[in-house]
Amino acid sequence: MSSEASLRSTYTAAPVHRFNVGDKVAVKHANPPGHRRTPYYIRGRQGVIERICGAYPNPEELAYGFDGKPEKVLYRVRFLQTQVWPGYAGPANDIIEMEIFEHWLEPASQRGAPAR
Amino acid sequence: MTDQAIRKTGPQDIGGEPAGPVDTTDHGMKHWERQANAFRSVVQMHKITCTDELRRAAEELGERYKDMQYFEITTSAMRTVLLEKGLFTEQELTAKMADIRARFNVPDEMESPIKKALKK
Amino acid sequence: MNKTTHDYYARSHHDHDHAHDHDHGIDDEHAPVNEHDNGPPGDYEIMSRAMQELLEQKGVITAAQVARRMELFDEEFPFRGAQVVARAWVDPAFKQRLLADGRAACAEMGTMLEAERLIAVENTPDVHNVIVCTLCSCYPRALLGMPPTWYKSRNYRSRVVFEPRAVLKEFGTELPDSVTVRVHDSNADMRYLVVPMRPKGTQGWSEEQLAQILSRDTLVGVTVPRVSA
Repeated sequence: MSSEASLRSTYTAAPVHRFNVGDKVAVKHANPPGHRRTPYYIRGRQGVIERICGAYPNPEELAYGFDGKPEKVLYRVRFLQTQVWPGYAGPANDIIEMEIFEHWLEPASQRGAPAR
Repeated sequence: MTDQAIRKTGPQDIGGEPAGPVDTTDHGMKHWERQANAFRSVVQMHKITCTDELRRAAEELGERYKDMQYFEITTSAMRTVLLEKGLFTEQELTAKMADIRARFNVPDEMESPIKKALKK
Repeated sequence: MNKTTHDYYARSHHDHDHAHDHDHGIDDEHAPVNEHDNGPPGDYEIMSRAMQELLEQKGVITAAQVARRMELFDEEFPFRGAQVVARAWVDPAFKQRLLADGRAACAEMGTMLEAERLIAVENTPDVHNVIVCTLCSCYPRALLGMPPTWYKSRNYRSRVVFEPRAVLKEFGTELPDSVTVRVHDSNADMRYLVVPMRPKGTQGWSEEQLAQILSRDTLVGVTVPRVSA
């Protein structure tokens, strides 16, 4: 993977944020109803904080006409494809990144992701 | 690919599903689609609705979503949201659609899915 | 304005079943416009038109506003992304600013991104970036115009996240295993622009010349820019 530059936070960080760039995190294994922007395929997966995007009104609330406040911290999280897809056909260095809101993240467990 | 313990939140949540080859040709947009897109943009600029509400309305299409084209989905979503917000009534919309059909001599499509949906 | 200038309804009634399908190669980057839609308007077109007319009649929006947005989407937005990346190619300091804060860098060039946050991701000899929005079709419209039909398709949205290399191959792009393929699922507030590697043979080119080889597909990451022989 390329230089450290790609791991630096490049947006104004939210003043209060739970996670820092480089932290190992897991996406919650949650199944809530309604409008969510966390794809099902990434739930329960473990990755690394790639950058802090800032704080934004929560789309899960905006979708229903609420103002989405208080804003939630949004992170970009990097995952190894081999840890997202069983039997991933590409090389082990391939990655996938996406934006995950703070309330969907927890510190990664020591034992690693559950088998899927 | 799918984990049975995780429930998808809606028909839009398709990342990871097996699917066929990508048609890599860009088929462009019809005139009405470009206009529909511009209409959506203006509606959002007026802060009548936001992207999140439109996405949510699209997701609420449920089973119909997978059989619909992109602009059919977005048009349905816009209809849902504008009705929710009282910009017009179902009756007004139905009447206006009939008016447009009459204006341009479009055959009355009794079996169309839209007519069925509007009839409820 | 809409009812006269662009109104195909005035044309003669054609066979309902024939969609007028332009056959464009993948090099035809700026989304072709089907001006000559055959057949009467379908239900969704009528619905969209009805909603628009109702809001115009109620004084909520104006036809001029809609026409202006159409103009921007057709005539301005599709070209900006290439201009931004061409600038990044000739100006390394600008490139760093673009990678650090996409929206601010675009503002420098007079390109206001409205509500969008932009993340520019750079291709290197070690990393190839490709963009998708699996949940809908989020796309940096203010930089690239409207997304192509393939970007919005189920097949692209579903497959590029789990088999990006196979999908890239369908676009004619093959990468060795030593190059990391980095997929970005544009699922929240960020929008993405790929900064491709500048190909050999472009020394001394102007920004305008460079923008010519920065097709929309290269900025989404499904192809790489080529210098034609």
